[in-house]
Amino acid sequence: MSTAYKHSHAGDGHDHKAAPMVEEITDYEVLEIAVRELAIEHGLFTAEDHRKFTEWAESIGPAAGSRLVAKAWTDPAFKARLLEDGTKACKEIGVDWAEPTGSGTPSDYTNFRVLEDTPTLHHVIVCTLCSCYPRPLLGMSPEWYRSTNYRRRLVRWPREVLAEFGLILPPEVEIRIEDSNQKCRFMVFPVRPEGTENWTEEQLAAIVTRDCMIGVALPRPGRTADVHPVHEARRPVHSAPLHGKAAE
Amino acid sequence: MKQNETLRTPNTQGRFKVGDRVQVRDMPNMFYTRTQNYVRGVTGTIAACTYKDLIPEDEAFNYDGRLEQYYIVRFRQKDLWGEYPFGNDTLQTEFPDHWLEPVSN
Amino acid sequence: MSVRSDVDPGRIALLEIIRREGKEWDVIAPRYGVTNPDPPWKTSLVAMCDCLAVSGALPTLERRSAEDELAKSVYSRVSAPESQLLALVHTMLSRGLVTEGDLASRMRTVRSRLEAA
Repeated sequence: MSTAYKHSHAGDGHDHKAAPMVEEITDYEVLEIAVRELAIEHGLFTAEDHRKFTEWAESIGPAAGSRLVAKAWTDPAFKARLLEDGTKACKEIGVDWAEPTGSGTPSDYTNFRVLEDTPTLHHVIVCTLCSCYPRPLLGMSPEWYRSTNYRRRLVRWPREVLAEFGLILPPEVEIRIEDSNQKCRFMVFPVRPEGTENWTEEQLAAIVTRDCMIGVALPRPGRTADVHPVHEARRPVHSAPLHGKAAE
Repeated sequence: MKQNETLRTPNTQGRFKVGDRVQVRDMPNMFYTRTQNYVRGVTGTIAACTYKDLIPEDEAFNYDGRLEQYYIVRFRQKDLWGEYPFGNDTLQTEFPDHWLEPVSN
Repeated sequence: MSVRSDVDPGRIALLEIIRREGKEWDVIAPRYGVTNPDPPWKTSLVAMCDCLAVSGALPTLERRSAEDELAKSVYSRVSAPESQLLALVHTMLSRGLVTEGDLASRMRTVRSRLEAA
């Protein structure tokens, strides 16, 4: 019997066509079910909580973040509210950081802040400790963001890592890395690019891709999708964790 | 206080304000800490006061009690890493009050 | 990386059998022309990790620390999210939250159920 294919992300900008099915049951699929059932039977969590978090995980995607940026680009009063209190401003676009528990998830919390780029300041986000990510606005984090390769190298060699994504900034531009190690969650608020005068919010949202909100890409007219990989990592990290300044 | 809540209203007075120079302490890890190795002993500037919350060490052991001010501290990349070639680049990360020491300007 | 992981890095027989089969999503999905980048169970896995953190059975930082260590050793050649699933189960076994025997037995039951459906 086949595994049903579920295209579950809402509004990520792609058309949702019916897709063919994977016609085999892998041990990975079986393992996930088995460990989950045992965990519930052992009282590690409840089936109800798991259902709630699964539905939540399926409901999130980067479209919310794109809408947030587009709205702030076109509405200066909203932008001011967003900079003043990020968590509260998210509610105006239908994102409630308190979901799905009423007090947030165990890794997203309720302290959201945008990092405003300027022509001379570019932000990029990372979580070196465990890959925390603003999931209510951007959905599940991409695998490259979770890798030790990205987490260790971005703080040490940000310009090299950004270059691998195809983003090269002049030395005069300050690159500011945000390592989200506590309960604040961050998203980059990029500079609105030239050539977008009189665009609708929808047109603007289409060029604010997930990578732009992490900070590894800049929004640009005509660029409506993130492409990976761009360049091979030149110095992938294989081994020892950082220990103070002597590392790498 | 529920697990994910943080306090927005003042409860414990923080020692620092935006613009203060602070140095990250290098305390031994009591098993559970969110202070990275690469910032230990480095001096930076308070960029923002964020919220008040339980310190992570207490929260991990479910102690009721000690609330602290948290801050975003900004560092020059040149101060974090030897031979970092770009003078303008910075890094920000977050600390509870007790991980920071005041530094005279 | 500021948290020492206490996960046992030794290989676990049951998980090695799964790993060696190599049936990661990015390998098998193209064979069927399926273009979704994630397997259907990924959101369930993410939810499971959230639930374990909420209940306190396996806090996020400890789970991720163990995952980092296992990803560079035992599961270094496994794609994501399969490496995340293996690392999670490995950590749970290491801590005695589930046993290898129970897991093997439950996997047989689950597979029979899915194949009969």
